Amino acid sequence: MSLLKRITVFLLALALLAQAGCGDRKDGQKAAPDKQPGGAGIIYTVADTTGDWGFPSPYAHYSRGPGYIRMSLLFDTLVWKDDKGYVPALAKGWEYNKDENSYLFSLQENATWHDGRKFTAGDVVFTVNYTREHPYQWADTGMVKKAEALGDHVVKLYLDRPYASFLEYVGGTLPILPEHIWKDVKSPQQFQQREALIGTGPFTLADYNKEQGTYMYKAFSGYYQGRPKVEELRFVKMGGEVMAAALRQKQVGAVQAPPELVRELEKEGFKVLVGRHDWVAKLMINHQKDPFNRKEFRQALAHSIDRRALVETCLRGHGLAGNPGFLPPDSPWYNPAQENRYPHSPEKAVELLKGLGYEKKGDYFEKGGRVLELELLISGRGIGVQGSPGEREGEMIKGQLEKVGIKVNLRALEAKTLDSRVGEWKFDLALSGHGGMGGDPEMLNRNILGKGFNSARYQGNEGLNTALKQQQAAMDKDRRLELVKKIQEIYAEEIPALPLYYPTWYWAHDGRVNLFYTFQGVASGVPIPLNKMSFVK
Amino acid sequence: MDKKNIALNYFLALLVILSLNFILPRLMPGDPLQAIYGDEAVIAMTPELQADIIRRFSLDQSPGEQFLAYGLALARGDLGHSYYYNSPVMEIILGRLPWTLLLVGLAVIISTLAGLVLGIESGYRRGGAADHLLLAGMMMLSGFPDFFAGIMLLLLFGVTLGLAPLAGGMTPYAAGNGMEKLLDIVGHLALPLASLTLVRLGGAYLLARNTMVISLGEPFIKTARAKGCTEAAVRYRHAGRNSLLPVATAAGLQLPHLISGALFVEIVFSYPGMGTLLYHSLITRDYPLLQGILLLTTITVLAVSLSVDIFYRKIDPRVSYAR
Repeated sequence: MSLLKRITVFLLALALLAQAGCGDRKDGQKAAPDKQPGGAGIIYTVADTTGDWGFPSPYAHYSRGPGYIRMSLLFDTLVWKDDKGYVPALAKGWEYNKDENSYLFSLQENATWHDGRKFTAGDVVFTVNYTREHPYQWADTGMVKKAEALGDHVVKLYLDRPYASFLEYVGGTLPILPEHIWKDVKSPQQFQQREALIGTGPFTLADYNKEQGTYMYKAFSGYYQGRPKVEELRFVKMGGEVMAAALRQKQVGAVQAPPELVRELEKEGFKVLVGRHDWVAKLMINHQKDPFNRKEFRQALAHSIDRRALVETCLRGHGLAGNPGFLPPDSPWYNPAQENRYPHSPEKAVELLKGLGYEKKGDYFEKGGRVLELELLISGRGIGVQGSPGEREGEMIKGQLEKVGIKVNLRALEAKTLDSRVGEWKFDLALSGHGGMGGDPEMLNRNILGKGFNSARYQGNEGLNTALKQQQAAMDKDRRLELVKKIQEIYAEEIPALPLYYPTWYWAHDGRVNLFYTFQGVASGVPIPLNKMSFVK
Repeated sequence: MDKKNIALNYFLALLVILSLNFILPRLMPGDPLQAIYGDEAVIAMTPELQADIIRRFSLDQSPGEQFLAYGLALARGDLGHSYYYNSPVMEIILGRLPWTLLLVGLAVIISTLAGLVLGIESGYRRGGAADHLLLAGMMMLSGFPDFFAGIMLLLLFGVTLGLAPLAGGMTPYAAGNGMEKLLDIVGHLALPLASLTLVRLGGAYLLARNTMVISLGEPFIKTARAKGCTEAAVRYRHAGRNSLLPVATAAGLQLPHLISGALFVEIVFSYPGMGTLLYHSLITRDYPLLQGILLLTTITVLAVSLSVDIFYRKIDPRVSYAR
């Protein structure tokens, strides 16, 4: 074979391989248009380190916040939130009837589905009933006793118990599905055809490429709140190291910025958004076994650990020290009285340990001839979230506890193995963390009483249990705030798990679109400043 | 060994490895339910949703039932449905595999061929300035981790000079078709391919050089020269051919790494591929996807082992006579 022929065969093979890689698209996913649209509409690109968050239908996207964000561009909910609170969406108004324990929603009369069909109250009733039959991961509609359409544009939802988080977790999170499309769908997770993306949202999906991790949305001209000002919205995959360069090269309009680059980007004229402190790094404590079942011992741990030093050293100042009452200082439900409950005080820790019968012999405390020795589980490379605790934090905490006289053995585990050991109570102490801190106070119940490995799973204080249950049912906001403050007070006293710090996250953008952080996070608490209304108005 | 026995051996190996592929992921601590849903704070995990997921993932079945279902599905050519990606495993793998074959396949071919030629030339000039320079350069390059080489290249050519794309396997939503698209793909491939090739070059080079140095002292080289063979013929047809055997073996051993070998380079360049897929399937405890990728690796290992056996006979006829 001549050299020329060999080169031709090689190039052909390359082209075939490339074609195979690009050609895998589902129904409903067509190739991107070759030409960019003209006109005054903005073409806006957002960078993302993961890229692929799944097929953006309500049931098919991956179970993570960015997946919900991509779906929310296509599907509207009854109510939505801006940076201050609830705003109308498919419901232009709503009221709560205490006697009936029901919500009455007046619906938009000019809203249509992307296929041109009219949106009606029947679709809302259908969605509620459908999600009761096919549990939906982002919203539990189990408390809706009955959904009733009162005409084409009024719907009433009767609840089986007072539920204070209803607007947040159902009204503002549940995407309304078109009955005419979903009524015969038996396996919603596997329904990934073009029709599965028909919603009432401000955008339609033009392309989704799983392998490249890219999405392209087009403005829906018939959107009931007006045609979106962003004509084309794109999400592209990009490594964290090159995001700032991509922003400077105008390849993208918005990125999650590494803390080190924030000042520099701000000086260059980019707008920087400082995130609310939605993520908490916490010290999980096995309060089911001795000596951790004594609250004085847990309090001694809280006094031993210098939470401010952790922020200054490990986060280079980009974060807030943990509040013993659990909620971060920028939460609207925060109780400031607990902030200075456990200042860093090795002396106080020593005093508490002595009160428990420990005696210091040499470097460490002892009781009954046994050295006070415990194991601290850490995840070798952190949990993967920016600012999540790993080896460095583990070493620092070990040093602080040993200074007091508590011997610590560090043990690094793969993140999921650590979660599993915590879940099975096979640990002494562990460094872990989770998001949702900026959300509705329902998250307190999930993270104190809930059964997941991220929860403290603490039921040792009757007053705490009662207050948690009461706040769920408190329909009056002031009463609820009072209860949430009480919960923080008891939590700080009991310390079932110790909040260490809340890392600060930043986004940088070119200012063409007014990005903002949503009140209590997008929908049920997604802490990403990509609220769809930024791209509409 | 006759062909029947060889086929039986490979079949038995496949069966054993298939069973291990099923068992090993399930021995890892943690379960898919926790790994996929446990981390997301805003999921409404109700008992009803949990029961629904367990049923959909077939986690309510005994391990025996799951293994039987896995075997029967495999017999039908069905690799199952991914827990995390919510798509058929076959579709997910076929979407990523071409990109990995393109990147790692080319890296193995180029690094092997270039390493072989450089090794032969270097060995031939043993002790000379060119040999010293090449040897020092190759030793240094082979000490680099691939992600380090990748980050350096990306910072220099992508971020500082702006000559190369910053991420991905192709420009998202760019205009152009046919040749333009091909050039775009080649442009995106250049830096990740260079990173992988550079760090893999040293292995083939050192093997080829060492064999060359030994071969040059053999009596058959003296015979070839005495016959009046040209220097090029002595270098490549006589001495060089002997270097092929260890280099081909090493290249063969690298092929199974095709599946996962480029994980860090994929991350640095946000390049699509099997490495990140395998990593994600591990951290999400996505058993069906893990099984699918392990199966692919198994088949690649067995196929490579068989091909190397056959290839040996071609490049070194002495193997055929060995009993």
